[in-house]
Amino acid sequence: MSTALTWTAIIILFAAGVYFVALMERWSFSGRLDWAGPLHAFLRAFGQEEIRTRRYDTVFYEATPIIFIAVVLLAVAILPFAQGTILLDLGTAALFINAALVYIMVSLIMAGWSANGAYGMIGGWRAMAQLIAYSMAVVMAITAAVMRAESMGMLEVVRSQAPLWNIIYQPVGFLLFYFAVMAMAFLPPFDLPVAEGELAGGAWAEFTGARKILFRLGRLLLVLTLALAVTVFFLGGWLGPWLPDFVWTFIKTALVAASFFWVGRWLPRIRHDHLLEWGWKYAVPAALFNIVQVGIQLLL
Amino acid sequence: MQPLQQYIILFGMLVATAGLAWMIYLIKRSLGETVDEPGKDMPAQSGHPSPEPAWNRYHVHYYGFALLFLAFDMEMAYMYPWAVVYKELGLVALLDMGFFLGILFLGLIYTWTQSGLKRQ
Repeated sequence: MSTALTWTAIIILFAAGVYFVALMERWSFSGRLDWAGPLHAFLRAFGQEEIRTRRYDTVFYEATPIIFIAVVLLAVAILPFAQGTILLDLGTAALFINAALVYIMVSLIMAGWSANGAYGMIGGWRAMAQLIAYSMAVVMAITAAVMRAESMGMLEVVRSQAPLWNIIYQPVGFLLFYFAVMAMAFLPPFDLPVAEGELAGGAWAEFTGARKILFRLGRLLLVLTLALAVTVFFLGGWLGPWLPDFVWTFIKTALVAASFFWVGRWLPRIRHDHLLEWGWKYAVPAALFNIVQVGIQLLL
Repeated sequence: MQPLQQYIILFGMLVATAGLAWMIYLIKRSLGETVDEPGKDMPAQSGHPSPEPAWNRYHVHYYGFALLFLAFDMEMAYMYPWAVVYKELGLVALLDMGFFLGILFLGLIYTWTQSGLKRQ
């Protein structure tokens, strides 16, 4: 199949993936599949009045939705969809994805600060607590995957999993990365910054209309990107029999994204101090153990 | 592909994203203005009026974790180059980094024993 055709198929599949994530998100709240729901919500946001709070911080208010969606797109650019189909084969990709996705937290704090509302501000500070809790698990799990690949390039990371996927080679790392990534996308058990039930939207409470659209779109892209990252780092990326490469990538990504919402549906929201305690008392030692385990396995 | 070229593409993506945002803003603006009404610009606070500004001192209960996070985050910067050459260097690399991580881990244990790992 020619390159142009592959890219077209990937773009269509990616758009379908965003729609699928939106569908699953609605399902996780209501328990039923509302096929036209995402489209209705998108169009409705255009009809919404744009209200700004009094004495808001103009620079932060205007910058934060764009930062949010931009960093997610930067992260997508370095993740491979298939053998030769990657937008940018960056030599430092594993480090770059960390650096890019930290700005999710920065954007949430800026969003919380800018509106000058109490709920938003609390949401912003919680976003920072959440970063401190999940960050180590993400970084250390990626380190272990890099150790096996002997390269920070994403193509090498996937190729190193040809004999055995990382989910079996380093199951502890997979579990840590999976839940840490859910915390990064602030999906339901970890949706502290935007908790609808207690903060009425939290960091995003004061954003309406066009800026809300950017945030919602960025969140959907973020969930899809992180599902893709789980696939690339732990589920063998494009590796699989019979079907074309990129189809395997999308099947796995869709399953991971759906599982995020399925897991989140059954878990209560965690308190931010509990999240920090669990993150440092259990996740960091487990992540260090994972690095040592992979180190020993590699030397055997 | 040259490294410089790659970063130009990344910069181009940033510009394209800003363009997308601008396009959405323009469409939104063409669909109508916001009606100016009193009390509309109050931040949401579950129906209560919110008289004071939110930008005041806030007690972050997690500063102990934050300090620990700084130490570990610095260490991660060394981990990545180490991870790339790990298999080449073999046992020496494992012992070197094991020693380093061991000291850091002792720091974590120490913080734990001083009850730093809880809401302050």
